[in-house]
Amino acid sequence: MVSAIFEQIVNGIVSGSVYAIVAVGMTMIFGVLRAINFAHGEYYMLGTFGAWFAIEYFDLPYPVAIVIGVVATAVIAVVVGQFVMQRIVGAPPETGVLATLGIALVLQNTVILVFGGGYKFFSGGYIEPVSIFGFTLAEQRVLIIIVCILVFVGLELMVTYSRMGKAMRAVSQNIECCAVVGIDVPQVALRTFILGACLAALSGVLTAPVNVSVYGGMGEIITFKTLPVIIMGGLGNVRGTFFAAMILGIAESLVATYVGLQFRDTVGFATLMLVLMWRPHGLFSAQARF
Amino acid sequence: MSPNDLSLPAPRRDLRLPFGAALAVAACLAPLFLGNYALHAIIIALIFLLPAHGLNLLVGYTGLLSLAQAAFFGIGAYTSGLMAVRFGTPFYLNFLAAGLLAAAIALPLGIPALRLRATSFVMCTLGFVIIGQAIAKNWISLTRGDMGLSGIPKPYFALGPASFTISGTTSFYYLVLVIAVMATLAAYLIVRSAAGRNMVAIRENETLAESVGIPTWRYKLVVFMISAAFAGLGGSVYAHYLTVVSPLTFQMYYSTTMLIIVLGGGAGTISGVVFGSLLFVGLSEALRVAPEVRMIAYGFCLLALVFWFPKGFAPLIDRFWSFLRERK
Repeated sequence: MVSAIFEQIVNGIVSGSVYAIVAVGMTMIFGVLRAINFAHGEYYMLGTFGAWFAIEYFDLPYPVAIVIGVVATAVIAVVVGQFVMQRIVGAPPETGVLATLGIALVLQNTVILVFGGGYKFFSGGYIEPVSIFGFTLAEQRVLIIIVCILVFVGLELMVTYSRMGKAMRAVSQNIECCAVVGIDVPQVALRTFILGACLAALSGVLTAPVNVSVYGGMGEIITFKTLPVIIMGGLGNVRGTFFAAMILGIAESLVATYVGLQFRDTVGFATLMLVLMWRPHGLFSAQARF
Repeated sequence: MSPNDLSLPAPRRDLRLPFGAALAVAACLAPLFLGNYALHAIIIALIFLLPAHGLNLLVGYTGLLSLAQAAFFGIGAYTSGLMAVRFGTPFYLNFLAAGLLAAAIALPLGIPALRLRATSFVMCTLGFVIIGQAIAKNWISLTRGDMGLSGIPKPYFALGPASFTISGTTSFYYLVLVIAVMATLAAYLIVRSAAGRNMVAIRENETLAESVGIPTWRYKLVVFMISAAFAGLGGSVYAHYLTVVSPLTFQMYYSTTMLIIVLGGGAGTISGVVFGSLLFVGLSEALRVAPEVRMIAYGFCLLALVFWFPKGFAPLIDRFWSFLRERK
């Protein structure tokens, strides 16, 4: 019994890691652009499709497919960033919501139009089980957890020490002052956005071997799951996002086992609404920043 | 500028009355000229007009961006469908019940949601759609889950001993036309009333509106409920027209479509919404555009609307009109 619960928690940590990598990009984009990116899950989908395409049509090995998925997403993110996201800087909140909704529609349906709406089989990844501390876990799941930790350590270091990270923090605090001291705000916004999109793509490619199926509408679900995470974590709060993602992942996993699989996908939004009502600034931020 | 130009411009002829009359005649005679498929397209457009009017009151007049319309649309569709299938009640009862129930459910949802601002409110309303879908899928004893409700009867009216059923496309067209005209009139009356002006005041500056004594909180709540009622009524007609309802009625697709109608037609205008639903739903339905292509077009429309045409595409038509007039 105890080990069964523990196993569910480990599973929850794996899906929490997936959400965390996607959500951290979204929360950083919010910090800089003050806009919720409703299209964020689509980059997750694009990354997965890029990798699937590389494997299916060119027979490339999985590690190369990861790179291709991420790079393909980065290229699309550059275009979207140049033409859309940079315009959102300093615009009213409705602008961000509607523009990113528009992008989500375009990206998702273009993929469905090109590749068809059906489920596709993703072959690749490391699905051999390994045993750690008496658990058997697919290698891919271990990889996801490791990448998640690396991403968060890397981001923490970047945000704290690098020039780019300092610029990002500055922009998230005061756009006018940044412009005064010579920080190129649109450039920072663009780079943050591309970084976030690439992280989402990376998460998508890493999860694909676990989920096995790939389809055009998969991004929407990820967007819906990421929204609660970034709200719970406190918008713009990198560390809070990590814990919130883990909480959601574990909660989903436990609900799926002990309440019913069909309720899994509502956990996120139910928590989202509760958090919005009682602690609108999130569980991990001391006070409302936005 | 020559002195002659200083004189007042010639008074513009008010074209609204003749234009409206022509539109009314065209709407009444449409079944004589259009095939069944074109009528079907117009029916769908007119059905979507109802939730769009509701959303327009919310987005265009009160300034609250909401994605919850699909949730109330679905609630209306299920209410109407369930009543018709389980109890065999006549159409007008189902129709009214759908609107009332949607408004009643909007009250407890609106109280917490409307305390949120801007983006948080949008996300919360999105949550209603997702949770609505989950309930429709999982409350199997009531909604039959993923199988959905099928065999919802075509609208039938029973007044005393007389009863008749609306079955053909043409008669359904007239039914929907009457409902759509009444809804448009209702929206028009709301907007023209003192309450409508107060709503605009809330949109423009909520703090100022509050300070001149407008009970903004109550207004927002009531408008949210009215918009839900409109969506519920639309859902009811939709259920009776398609004769099936499934959990997929609770889908972002519907919220997005309604948003496009309102923003594309011109938020904050009644005629713009009518124009929007005919253009974005009617035309794309009539041209049999594949849903993916339609959604891509909607996506680009959203981007264009946000960045270039914040007042919707209606002003473009206006400009086109005046361009034609000046050429004469």
